[in-house]
Amino acid sequence: MYFNRDELAKYGMIATLAIAVVIPFLTDSMFILNLLVLMLIFIIFASSWNLLAYSGQGSLGHAAFFGIGAYASTLIAAQSGITPFVTIFIGAAVAAFIGILIGLTCVRLKEWFLAMVTFGFAIIVQTLTVSVLAPVTGGWDGLSSPRLLSPSIPGYQLIEYYAILVITIASIAAIWYIMKSRIGLAFLAIRENELEARAAGLDPVRYRLLAFAFSAYIAGVAGALEIHHIGYLTPELYGVDNSFWPITYVILGGLGTLAGPVVGTVVLTVIWEGLKATGLTFGRYVIVGVILILAIIFLPRGLVSLPEQVQEWLKRRRRKEPLPEPVGD
Amino acid sequence: MDTLGIFLQIIFWGLYAGCIYILLATGLNLIFGVMKIVNFAHGEFLMIGAYITATVFFLTGINPYLIILLSMLALIGIGAVIERFCFRPILGTGKLNEIFLSIGLIYIFQNGAAMIWGDSWQSVKSPYDGITVPVGSLSVPLDYILIMLFTAVILCGLYLFLKKTTIGMQMRATSQNRKGAMLVGINVERIDIISFGLGCALAAAGGTLWVVSGQVFNPYMGSIPAVKAFAIIILGGLGSIPGAIIGGLLMGLAENGAAVLLGGIWKDAISFVILIVALVVRPTGLFGEKGE
Repeated sequence: MYFNRDELAKYGMIATLAIAVVIPFLTDSMFILNLLVLMLIFIIFASSWNLLAYSGQGSLGHAAFFGIGAYASTLIAAQSGITPFVTIFIGAAVAAFIGILIGLTCVRLKEWFLAMVTFGFAIIVQTLTVSVLAPVTGGWDGLSSPRLLSPSIPGYQLIEYYAILVITIASIAAIWYIMKSRIGLAFLAIRENELEARAAGLDPVRYRLLAFAFSAYIAGVAGALEIHHIGYLTPELYGVDNSFWPITYVILGGLGTLAGPVVGTVVLTVIWEGLKATGLTFGRYVIVGVILILAIIFLPRGLVSLPEQVQEWLKRRRRKEPLPEPVGD
Repeated sequence: MDTLGIFLQIIFWGLYAGCIYILLATGLNLIFGVMKIVNFAHGEFLMIGAYITATVFFLTGINPYLIILLSMLALIGIGAVIERFCFRPILGTGKLNEIFLSIGLIYIFQNGAAMIWGDSWQSVKSPYDGITVPVGSLSVPLDYILIMLFTAVILCGLYLFLKKTTIGMQMRATSQNRKGAMLVGINVERIDIISFGLGCALAAAGGTLWVVSGQVFNPYMGSIPAVKAFAIIILGGLGSIPGAIIGGLLMGLAENGAAVLLGGIWKDAISFVILIVALVVRPTGLFGEKGE
C-alpha cells in the first residue's frame, strides 16, 4: 500500500471536482442542495482564514470580514440595484480595505496579541453595527438582502449551486496561485523566520498587510455569498461562532495546506449533520470540541496528513520499530 | 443624582467589576508565568465555578459566600485534569496550537454546561440582598464590599502562598527559569499542574463572587470576561501580577465609565478599543518587558 503524495493529491482533486459537479443530480432534496451551497461558502471562508494562518497570523475574528463583506454587498446591491453577482466582489473589496486597516494595527503583533486584537475587532465591528451604524444596518433586526437569483427562475437553486461552485473553485485556485507565487514564498519565509526574511530583503509589514487584504477579500466574498443566498442578514454574522468555525475546519483538515480547509469543512459538515439526525443539540458542539482537541494532539497536521501517517505507521510496524513521539508544528 | 454621585457610582461599580477581572487575570497570569501558555477558555472555569455555587446553593441553601471554598477545590481538580490531558501533550508545539485547543475547550465546556444546566439565564439572591452601607452620598450594597474583601483576602493568600511556601517558591523558580528549576530538582510537571489548578481556582472564586452579587449567568457568560482578562494581562504586562491587579481595576472603571457615558452597548467593545490603542502605542503592553 504505497502511494505518491502528488498523485494522491491529483486524483483526490479530480474526484472531488467530479463529485461536486455530479452530486446535485443524485439528489432531489432541496435541503441537501442548500446544505451543499452553505458547505461551499464555508470552504471559501475556511480557505481565507487558512491563507492568513499560512502567513503566520492566526485570526480569532475572521467573522468581522465575513460580516463586512455581507453588509457592504447587501447595502450596495439594495441601493443601486446592481445584481448581487457584481456587488459580492465590491463588498469584498470593502472587507479587504478594512482588513488592511486592521492589519496596520496588527503588523507588529504576533500570536496571542494578534488573536486578541482580531477577536476584539469583531466585537467592536458588531457594536458599531448595532449602535452608530444602526440607521443604515438595521441594528439587531438586520436587513433583508437581495437574492442571488430570483426564486421565480425555474431551477434557480441548481444554477445558484453551480455559480457558487465556480466561485469556490476560483477562490481556491486564487489561493493556490498566491501560495505558489513569490508572495506565498515570502509569507512562508516571514512565518518561519522574520529576521532572516528581512535579511533577504523582504518587507514583513508589506507582506503581512497583503495577507490580510487577500484573506479579508476572500472572507468578504464568502460572507456576501452566504447572505445573498439566504436573503437576510443580522449582526449575529459577527458572532464568535462564525469566527471559530473556519478555525475548527482548517485545524481538522490540515493547517497551511490547500486541501485542508476543503477536507475539514466537508468532513465536519457531514459529522455535524449526522449528529443532528440523532437529535443532539448542545452535545454536537461538545463532540466537535472533542474532535478538535484530539486532532490537535494526535493529528497536528490534520486529516490531509492521514494517508502519510498511516503509511508511516505501516512501515514502522513492518520493521517492528516503536512509534516516535508525535512532533507538532 | 449629582455629578459626584454618578462619579462615585462609576467608581464603585468599576471596583466591583474589576475584582472579578482581577481574579481571572491573576489566574491567567499565574498559568502564563509558569507554563508560558495562554488559555482562552479560562472564562469557562469562571462559568463552572458560578454553576457549582448556584447548584450547591439551590440544593442546600447554605450561605453562598461559603461555597467559594468548594467551587475553588472543585476547579483545582478540573484544572489539573485539563492540564494533564489537554495542555501537556501540546506544550512547546507552537503558540497557535494553544489558542486552537482553547477553542475546543470552549465548545466542550459551554455546551456541556448547557446540557447539564440548560442555557437560560439564571440568578441567585444573596442573603445580604438589599442591605446597603452608606459611603458619602452613595449607598453601596453590602455585597459589593464583601466581594472586594473576599478578593483582597484571596490575593493576599496567594501572595503569601507564593512567597512563603515551598511549592510557591518552586512555582516562582519555574516561572523564572524552567530549565534551571529542573536542574535543581524541581518537578516542573507537578508545578505545572498545581499552577494550572490554582489559576482555575481563582477563576472559580470569581465565578462564585459573580453569582453572589446577583448578576445573571448562563453557560456562555465566561468568554467575554476571559478575553477581557486577557486584555488586562496584555495591558498590565504578561506574567506581572501587580500589573494584572492595576489593569483589572482600570478595566472595570473604564468599562463602567463607558457604559454610563456612551451607553451600555459599548460596555464590551470599549475594553478592546483600549487594548488596540494601547497595543498600537506600546506593542509590549503598558508595564510589560518583552512579551516573548
